[in-house]
Amino acid sequence: MPLKPDFEPVLFKNRRGDRPATFDEYRQGGGYEALLATVGKKSPEEVVRMVTAAGLTGRGGAGFPTGRKWAGVPASAPYPRYVQPNTDEMEPGTFKDRILVNADPHLVIEGIILCAYAVKAQRGIFFIRPSYESDAQLIERELAVARAAGFLGSGILGSDFSFELSVHRSAGRYICGEATAQVNAIQGLRPNPVKAPGAHLTEAGLWGRPTVVNNVETLASVPHILTRGPEWYKSLAATPTGDGTKLYCVSGKVARPGCYELPMGTRLSDIIYEHAGGMLPGGTFKACLPGGASTAFMPETLFDIPMDFPSLKAVGHHLGTASMIVFDKNTCLLAATINIIRFFVRESCGWCTPCREGLPVILDILERIEAGEAGEADVAWLETMTRQLHHAYCAFAPGAAAPIEGLLRHFRDEVMDHLDGRGCPFGAPELADKPGAWHLPKGGRP
Amino acid sequence: MPDDDLRRTILNMLQGVEHPREKAVDVMYLLQRQYGYLCDEALVVGAELLGMTPLELEELATFYDFIYRRPVGKYVIHVCDGVVCWMHHEDDIFRHLCARLGVRPGETTADGLFTVLPTVCIGDCDKAPAMLVNGRFYGPLTPGRVDEILETLRSGDEERVLCP
Amino acid sequence: MSRKPEEASCRLTIDGREIVVAADTPVIDAAERLGIMIPRFCYHPALGAVGACRMCAVKFLDGPVKGLQMSCMVGARDGMVVSTTNPEAVDFRRQVVEWLMANHPHDCPVCDEGGHCLLQDETISGGHALRRYRGPKRTYRDQDLGPFVAHEMNRCIHCYRCARFYQEVAGGRDYGVLSIARRTYFGRYEGGRLESPFAGNIIDLCPTGTLTDKPSRYRARRWDLERGPSVCLHCSLGCGLTVGARYREVMKLEARLNPEVNGHFICDRGRYGFGYESRPDRPRQPRVDGRETIAGAALAALAEGLKPFEAGKVAMVGGTRSNLETLAALLGLCRDQGWRPPVFFRDARLAGAAESAAAALSGDLVASLADVGRADVILVVCADPLAEAPMLALSLRRAARRGAAVLVLDHRPCDLPCEAERLTFAPQELAGCLSRLAHAALRGRKEAAAYLSSLPLPPDLLPETALALDTWGKRLAEARFPLVVCGTDQAEPTLPALAGGLARLLAGSHDQDRRAGFLPLLPGPNGLAAALAGGGDLEALLADIEDGRATALLVVESDLLSRTPEPERWLAALRKLKLLAVCDHLPSPLLEAAHVVLPSRTVFEAGGHFVNQEGRLQRAMPVFSPGLPMGRTLREGHPPRLFMSCAPGSEPRPAADWLKDLAGLLGAGGRAGDWADLAAAFPGLPGLAAGPAPENGRRCLPETAPGADAPSVAKTGSPDVPPDHLQVLLVERTFGTEELSCRAPLLAASAPEPWVDLAAADAGKAGLAHGAWLLVPLPGGPLRARLRVHQDMAPGLLLLPRDPRLLWQRLAGTGVLVELLRLHAITAEEEPAGEDTTLEAEP
Ligand SMILES: Cc1cc2nc3c(=O)[nH]c(=O)nc-3n(C[C@H](O)[C@H](O)[C@H](O)COP(=O)(O)O)c2cc1C
Ligand code: SF4
Ligand code: FES
Repeated sequence: MPLKPDFEPVLFKNRRGDRPATFDEYRQGGGYEALLATVGKKSPEEVVRMVTAAGLTGRGGAGFPTGRKWAGVPASAPYPRYVQPNTDEMEPGTFKDRILVNADPHLVIEGIILCAYAVKAQRGIFFIRPSYESDAQLIERELAVARAAGFLGSGILGSDFSFELSVHRSAGRYICGEATAQVNAIQGLRPNPVKAPGAHLTEAGLWGRPTVVNNVETLASVPHILTRGPEWYKSLAATPTGDGTKLYCVSGKVARPGCYELPMGTRLSDIIYEHAGGMLPGGTFKACLPGGASTAFMPETLFDIPMDFPSLKAVGHHLGTASMIVFDKNTCLLAATINIIRFFVRESCGWCTPCREGLPVILDILERIEAGEAGEADVAWLETMTRQLHHAYCAFAPGAAAPIEGLLRHFRDEVMDHLDGRGCPFGAPELADKPGAWHLPKGGRP
Repeated sequence: MPDDDLRRTILNMLQGVEHPREKAVDVMYLLQRQYGYLCDEALVVGAELLGMTPLELEELATFYDFIYRRPVGKYVIHVCDGVVCWMHHEDDIFRHLCARLGVRPGETTADGLFTVLPTVCIGDCDKAPAMLVNGRFYGPLTPGRVDEILETLRSGDEERVLCP
Repeated sequence: MSRKPEEASCRLTIDGREIVVAADTPVIDAAERLGIMIPRFCYHPALGAVGACRMCAVKFLDGPVKGLQMSCMVGARDGMVVSTTNPEAVDFRRQVVEWLMANHPHDCPVCDEGGHCLLQDETISGGHALRRYRGPKRTYRDQDLGPFVAHEMNRCIHCYRCARFYQEVAGGRDYGVLSIARRTYFGRYEGGRLESPFAGNIIDLCPTGTLTDKPSRYRARRWDLERGPSVCLHCSLGCGLTVGARYREVMKLEARLNPEVNGHFICDRGRYGFGYESRPDRPRQPRVDGRETIAGAALAALAEGLKPFEAGKVAMVGGTRSNLETLAALLGLCRDQGWRPPVFFRDARLAGAAESAAAALSGDLVASLADVGRADVILVVCADPLAEAPMLALSLRRAARRGAAVLVLDHRPCDLPCEAERLTFAPQELAGCLSRLAHAALRGRKEAAAYLSSLPLPPDLLPETALALDTWGKRLAEARFPLVVCGTDQAEPTLPALAGGLARLLAGSHDQDRRAGFLPLLPGPNGLAAALAGGGDLEALLADIEDGRATALLVVESDLLSRTPEPERWLAALRKLKLLAVCDHLPSPLLEAAHVVLPSRTVFEAGGHFVNQEGRLQRAMPVFSPGLPMGRTLREGHPPRLFMSCAPGSEPRPAADWLKDLAGLLGAGGRAGDWADLAAAFPGLPGLAAGPAPENGRRCLPETAPGADAPSVAKTGSPDVPPDHLQVLLVERTFGTEELSCRAPLLAASAPEPWVDLAAADAGKAGLAHGAWLLVPLPGGPLRARLRVHQDMAPGLLLLPRDPRLLWQRLAGTGVLVELLRLHAITAEEEPAGEDTTLEAEP
């Protein structure tokens, strides 16, 4: 189904392809109007109310309602308060935040400032992964521009609202995208996630102060909600269960991999065939991971599903980061799963047993299946262990469980075809594990 | 020893920071850029400037993969081995790259110019298979393209986005 | 006042049994109270829950939380229905064990943890017996963590207990978590001795054989040990210990949980301060005039020898390291025989300070070590916690981490493992400073008038110092639970009384809910009992011996010669004695001079009662019978084929028994029975009447201190220190100075080299640099030691540790001054200098 003729991009309104939109270009397109219309004119509570009414869900992967998160900062909470725009984007297959920041840095900056206004934060820390160093530099440059324009700093637009935003460079590791681990990372602590019973970052995050962590795509949606209203924003979605527009990444065996802004809830088949140009010549669709490596393989039978959080949930899947990794019929999904689990094994923060010790055991079984060294009992054990990953400390290990679950649920036959000496029917590529540069303590190298 | 400029840069960076630890990663980046990698001396100096013990900084240094605690070449080639690049036969790129450079993954060429490091998905999946050198993405890669890139890097013509 | 929500209780059901606990109690603890021990690795009550190991999974069947959850991470709530035996939970726990064992080396047969290993227990109880994982195992390289802790990383299950204790609880900064994922490593930046003086606790905490006790490695299995509860004797806090002995020697000590005292932990001085009981030079045989004899003969000779003496010329010296039974017997003997009152303290100042501290204590004011962690404003006066009572430093850290403000007023550069404000003053100024602070704290309080008027005048203070004291005074006044700690080792006699008086007045303020605490540090494990018993001091006794006013001396478990700064004078005086009897288990030159030697048992063999600094009566059990350590009796690898009814070297008897038998021979009056006698000997500890100590001890102080509201304060004169002179003060160190532990071979072999301290201002004047070797001209000869220069210590002082490796006894007197400019650094070439200036290691 093609896009409605009147569809206009919101987040990619100023996207040019060759270079980022400048401050002036952003302003010309109505940029910072939301800020001008809000600071000193709307109350912070009003902003939270509008975002809540728009039904904006977090774009970082969990789909948590943004308005509800912001309202979670208690009115009586102490200061300073922090906003932590999350541009870690280490989820394999995901690159939307990079494209967004690169297309329209000021849209992101304006969204962050509005969030700060809504939760009365004084400081923002833009957390960014190391492979996006050029974007980090871009943001730093544009922050100076925004500051010069009086949109950042003390007494913004003559009000008593002051807000500083700076960039925190990460040094890698997937877990740093997890909000609580990121709080540790920024504080210069080991980035293990933290789950104290009953504790919320919005009450005690960075340095024990209220902290709002949002994905940058989430934040970039805010200026539009404020200028054009929650109703308009809601109406952008393709489904009643969706909200606004969504940046869908498509990669893998498609003709035109890339990042596409489409109405939230666009059907999977449309994303792949209408927008990403369909499969590569000669390829046939077999499966896709709908939202990065920590979601489950979806088979062809779900091809027409609307890609929004509730629709996927209804069929036992997750939208995640809405980054579709598309596999064709010639790819061994077991081998793909091995690649993904190696990623999780390597990136586990090492805090809890299921993840640190369980994933390597799971990987070993997967590799044995691939090599034809396993039998049905191994598959049964694999299934049990995968289920048990859900009792890990944080959402990392359950994320690792997802592709295996999808594999066993929808492509069990393919797995079984490997068993009992048969090995990979696809003649899967060499599986030697690469050593990588492991930084180990002195006197403690394995 | 780090030169005085670097010391000053770091001290400036820490000036007025409420929580110096917040800057630990930045300080490690600065030091590893000067020393080539975060050698023991750099780590001890960094810890001292940050008011941390060497152990405390090592706890962070050994956590991250973009902090190099072992010698690396001038160009660290982070080859993506994420699932998208994998599906585009990133293994071939690896084999080709390693054969060209005469190293195994994780090793540095004898001339100290290149280190090949397998790296988790670098976020350039629309250009898979891809790699990251000195903060720049290269992709989609083919063996021929890899040779070209190595040539430009060797000639030093490539524009360097800050190397972490 | 309304009850705070967290104090509310709730009712939950675990495995079909109901229990009522405070809301938010971790379910794992609630279950434990029912006797249901949910498997765990990372959870430890002293460290809290972090949910890392996932071993404690249980199923929540009903109530506010549902499904499989970690019982350490869920707080108890009304209506919870929990099953620990639900198949889903059991399967998951079994899987966790299997995962943990995937990389484990299975080296239990050679592992020192074998037999008391939590991993072993959980593996077996979880039913994991069949190995399914066929992949390669991870191997780590171990580090050398110093003399006490052995490191075997391959056995690690990554529960994070060690690092969390080391960094969070103990404030150590040289051991932690390195690397990531399955390579996560626990260790140091590079191999080397763990710096924290509490490091040994990671051995107790580690649930596997990763961190084990190095000294006792390969020497005994847990089930081979004779084990028993004991009390640490290396300071006045009385931390709980478990002794493990085998083959007639102590193999290792472990921390024993005592919630109100040490909690789960002890310091390394306590853990490794043993070994004096099996020194080859320990006196084991009774001796008369240098000849070995049997017990009865030695006692008879002593009793005979004592008869001719006029009662007033017989003196007794006791030690604060003796058990209560010994002290009571000693007091009884002196009283019944009409001898001179016994002497327990080395000088009049210390005796005075200890007595004034003891007098200020009462049940309504005294603070336990656990109370320190509950206080919100803490004043530490004239105490160096890490040196004098190391576990106090840990408690201060706990308080500071909970937000308490800590002020230390002292002349020494007190290192603390926590945030604290430090104000330094000369020792003689401390009372005046306390006075300034007290005035600020108690301003306008009518009932404080008498106390305030008894205080000395504050010294001249810099305006900012005065302001700081006033601010802290106000803080104390406003605190919810203010606490005053006062040392006695260095204090002027009146200081503890002043400190105690301040605490008492802080407690009795307008707010009824408010409490305050006083925690004095006393000299030695039974220092409080000794102080309450009163008595003379050694300096006076020495003069009396010299003048012939005392001609017979009985020394019981007190090492005069190695503790005095005037050994020459003492030796000369001892020669004048007509009778010298010594009862002890420590070797000392005193034994050579003695006419009668009665070898006593150590605490490990005799047990006994001790009253710690908070008046808590605690009991050490005798753990093994004395005898030459088996290893030492071996002949060509075999035990001797002697057929005797007792082990060689088993002659030592409890000191109290020696004394009681002596009393019998001297014809003492009737006995009311052992415990009644003991209670009667210490009227200042009325709680003794209730009998021997229960497991965690019992406070024995009177509920209120008579007349403690307005302590009478004798003004003391400050010593005259001419300009450019330094007062030499003998000080304690965490390791190497305390009377018993400095004879512990393990500590002696590994204690850091002793150093002397100087304030930066003085060092600057004399041109001396940190780390320099120094030659200090002392009256008895020069002393050589390494110098440490400190910004935060009072000027005009030279601090000299009472470390037997240092020739500190060349001080040859008390109140010694040295001229600053006569200190000089010696060059590196001079370092291996002549015998008189090098470190003298005790054999
Ligand atoms: C292992 C893991 C990695 C994550 N990585 C990211 C990330 O790279 N970027 C991101 O925005 N959120 C990431 N998240 C989700 C964050 O924890 C958090 O939910 C999100 O940033 C909140 O923003 P939102 O409400 O706008 O979605 C990750 C979560 C997990 C469990
Ligand atoms: S699941 Fe456990 S080990 Fe894995 S990242 Fe989360 S906390 Fe760390
Ligand atoms: S004891 Fe509960 S997770 Fe470790």
